[in-house]
Amino acid sequence: MALAFDEFGRPFIILREQDQKTRLRGIDAQKANIAAGKAVARILRSSLGPKGMDKMLQGPDGDVTITNDGATILEQMDVDNQIAKLMVELSRSQDYEIGDGTTGVVVMAGALLEQAERQLDRGIHPIRVAEGYEMASRVAVEHLERISQKFEFDVDNFEPLVKTCMTTLSSKIVNRCKRSLAEIAVKAVLAVADLERRDVNLDLIKVEGKVGGNLEDTELIYGILVDKDMSHPQMPKQIEDAHIAILTCPFEPPKPKTKHKVDIDTVEKFETLRKQEQQYFDEMVQKCKDVGATLVICQWGFDDEANHLLMHRNLPAVRWVGGVELELIAIATGGRIVPRFQELTTEKLGKAGMVREKSFGTTKERMLYIEHCANSKAVTIFIRGGNKMMIEETKRSIHDALCVARNLIRNKSIVYGGGAAEIACSLAVDAAADKYPGVEQYAIRAFAEALDSVPMALAENSGLQPIETLSAVKSQQLKENIPFYGIDCNDVGTNDMREQNVFETLIGKQQQILLATQVVKMILKIDDVISNSEY
Amino acid sequence: MIQPQIILLKEGTDTSQGKAQLLSNINSVTAVGDVVRTTLGPRGMDKLIHDDKGSVTISNDGATILKLLDIVHPAAKILVDIAKSQDSEVGDGTTTVVLLAAEFLKEAKPFVEDGVHSQNLIRSYRTASTLAIEKVKELAVSIEGKSVEEKKGLLAKCAATTLSSKLIGGEKEFFATMVVDAVMAIGDDDRLNLIGIKKVPGGNMRDSFLVDGVAFKKTFSYAGFEQQPKKFLNPKILLLNIELELKSEKENAEIRLSDPSQYQSIVDAEWNIIYDKLDKCVESGAKVVLSRLAIGDLATQYFADRDIFCAGRVAEEDLNRVAAAAGGTVQTSVNNIIPEVLGTCEIFEEKQVGGERFNIFSGCPSGRTATIVLRGGADQFIEEAERSLHDAIMIVRRAVKNSTVVPGGGAIDMEISKYLRQHSRTIAGKSQLFINSYAKALEVIPRQLCDNAGFDATDVLNKLRQKHAMQSGEGASYGVDINTGGIADSFANFVWEPAVVKINAINAATEAACLILSVDETVKNPKSESAQGDAAAGAMGRGRGGGRGRGMRRR
Repeated sequence: MALAFDEFGRPFIILREQDQKTRLRGIDAQKANIAAGKAVARILRSSLGPKGMDKMLQGPDGDVTITNDGATILEQMDVDNQIAKLMVELSRSQDYEIGDGTTGVVVMAGALLEQAERQLDRGIHPIRVAEGYEMASRVAVEHLERISQKFEFDVDNFEPLVKTCMTTLSSKIVNRCKRSLAEIAVKAVLAVADLERRDVNLDLIKVEGKVGGNLEDTELIYGILVDKDMSHPQMPKQIEDAHIAILTCPFEPPKPKTKHKVDIDTVEKFETLRKQEQQYFDEMVQKCKDVGATLVICQWGFDDEANHLLMHRNLPAVRWVGGVELELIAIATGGRIVPRFQELTTEKLGKAGMVREKSFGTTKERMLYIEHCANSKAVTIFIRGGNKMMIEETKRSIHDALCVARNLIRNKSIVYGGGAAEIACSLAVDAAADKYPGVEQYAIRAFAEALDSVPMALAENSGLQPIETLSAVKSQQLKENIPFYGIDCNDVGTNDMREQNVFETLIGKQQQILLATQVVKMILKIDDVISNSEY
Repeated sequence: MIQPQIILLKEGTDTSQGKAQLLSNINSVTAVGDVVRTTLGPRGMDKLIHDDKGSVTISNDGATILKLLDIVHPAAKILVDIAKSQDSEVGDGTTTVVLLAAEFLKEAKPFVEDGVHSQNLIRSYRTASTLAIEKVKELAVSIEGKSVEEKKGLLAKCAATTLSSKLIGGEKEFFATMVVDAVMAIGDDDRLNLIGIKKVPGGNMRDSFLVDGVAFKKTFSYAGFEQQPKKFLNPKILLLNIELELKSEKENAEIRLSDPSQYQSIVDAEWNIIYDKLDKCVESGAKVVLSRLAIGDLATQYFADRDIFCAGRVAEEDLNRVAAAAGGTVQTSVNNIIPEVLGTCEIFEEKQVGGERFNIFSGCPSGRTATIVLRGGADQFIEEAERSLHDAIMIVRRAVKNSTVVPGGGAIDMEISKYLRQHSRTIAGKSQLFINSYAKALEVIPRQLCDNAGFDATDVLNKLRQKHAMQSGEGASYGVDINTGGIADSFANFVWEPAVVKINAINAATEAACLILSVDETVKNPKSESAQGDAAAGAMGRGRGGGRGRGMRRR
């Protein structure tokens, strides 16, 4: 950091530990920040699109993640640079809000920064650039609204939803069974969706995975899957028309919370105590039996004696079920969580058509399926796959697909993918640029060029000639004035995205543009970086 | 014979005095002023600052930047203090005040070098500041007596001027209206904490919204929570400050039983205590139960069973806001709950906002509170947006109370400057020069506005001087036009600031300048210095030698 000098030329210190601080200011700071942002975007660029590549990331504990989900890659990279962190947060907020398009948003921001750098070199004030970007983003968002199309679907006809989800899944490693996965995702979302309020609570969809089997074995269970087995190996493995008691109290003699001590000084007292204990177990099991429960699901453990007794009385039971699962079971079966045996009543039991235990392959692992529940508003997607990494990646892909389906239920509008929307916006922004007097015009044009970078990256990743392809598609769009032409990534032979069925949600795309612009503005606005030299 | 040296102070004490000291202080203040200089105005830039813990702030707010810079120089610290005082007094104009103080001192420097006694300077500066403030008051335009709607529009203009220099400047109208609505909602109440700002990462700035009531994030919940109803119309709200959990009533109590058959009665007794509490909550007729302390799983399920919504571990300020909005009182016991202590609101709802779930109480009867839910692309972004909104809220509040405004964009500064110049000509003696230099220092605001926007400052300033010098006075509200690089009537363009911001800034900056001018000696205790060094080094967990011993050269 620059020192201040007094009248005699001696430097003096104003800030604490001044000599350890570095300061970057003016155009240098902006250049350095832009470079950092671009570096992050460059990493993700190759992951974009159906022919995008995956990244392998090794965590600090040696665990390996393979993914092409932008948000996950950036999260795991653990970047240190502040500007790079902003890009990570950018991707994360796209993930929170939309759930899909996390790679695209970063690529977009990187392209905007790259263009901004050129404008800065021309001597345009960074804030003018940022303001120009903002104007352009408004134009782009409005244009997207114009070219968007409404989708009609209902519970019976969900084909359009499936197609949109397929577009999302096609860029993932699981694309070989994108059709089935997309169907699963859509069915799951429709099962829990509140179509009137247009609201989907994704918490009600549980995604479980287990190593083994094929990706094709992935299934949707209208009910709950619990990674637990019956507490006693001899209990029945299948219960039809189950009445489930959902308990949060252990099968143990109750313990007061206050510190207590029982003084036993005679044999009789000991006997009573023992009898009492037995009686407790007996009462508990009897109580469950009395209200008509045919299955007990408990949050806590059982005493061995209780377990034996349950077996004996032919009352199957599951123990150590986590709180979240317990809640989902309660919602699905329409039961109530019961905190005390005394409160158990018939009305509080949950009902499920079928509860069965299923074992997989040669392993001893078993899982409990609770199906045909009274209230099917909770579903589980059960993923099978060759290895753990595959399952993790499938989970992420399914999450993206679920989010897309949810967004479509919230807002039915779609735009065409494959870079078609970006190209259309680019044309619109470019045309609008001429209407703005002042320096901003240049920034708006730069924005249009940055929009081209997404289809460009798509073409590059698909092994096409980027510039040739882009200019061909662009001229086609302009000539026919139809905004459906995009990059033919899969070499199907047509550029018409309607035929290829490549859709993206309107809100997702709008959000991408707005978020990227916002973050770029923030980066451009910084002209001074003061840091300890250690960072 | 050699005179023995008299040692007055402990060895190592650093003393410095005289003119040199004064100049050195002025230099240090100027150096600090230079740091915040570029953040002024709508084209001002942001600073990215790492603090010693490694966390990072991106800000445009003068007070925030100075606070984070961790200044140790004693004279320069005064600037931090005035920025803070401006922040707490009016909430905005923190950069302005620092810039003015630095500029006053810069103008004083040549006089000090020429041997003018600093008290002379101080006296003239004080006179000048009194004159300037009177002039501001005279020029200020009152917005009193307008209809509520009209007033709202005017206040929004003030808020927009503040916001224009911030990161959210692109959406300034949107946020300005929101801020004005929020401030109007809480009315004359002085408690600023009645306006809550909640941050939710994700989404777009425009997705931010104002709740005419209270909103807070879903608290930690136990199993059973999802089975509770999530929407009520006109619910009764019970606010508690007790734990609803099955637990030992006394920490150190111990129960000794000699008869095992009594065991069950103890267990039952404990359950009865909690059930009793829960029953009373239910009996009160409340549909929403909030507690500052935990609401356990048992209670959650109990309430779920009876179609009541509950949330435990609600932050105290949120609970207080609910109390203020819904009209209830926070209870520390469930005994004797009378209907008067229950609050109510039109709609209670749990809503998804981005990745978070929010409890939203809207349409509250007393309506004395408002919550702004901020959305934005990155954490840093929302943080900065929050600071900006804070400034805007403060400005609007000041404007409501003290409803006079002055034109911004450097117009008022130019006008005072002109007035002081004219005045100085009537004074005989040295003071003429000093007041003239004070007037010149005021021009720093429009000059810096131009510099930051990349305009030719001299050119613009000359145009402004010409306008302001017009006899008719019609050019009095001309300021820098940030869009075209020329000049424009700030008043007509609705670039307005509350007069109190300017008054306070001039006052504080003059005070600080005078204070620094009046110092001619610094005595520094060596111990305090090394202790400071140790503390700093210790806090950072690295005992490197570099940390200590530094600053020895400081004078």
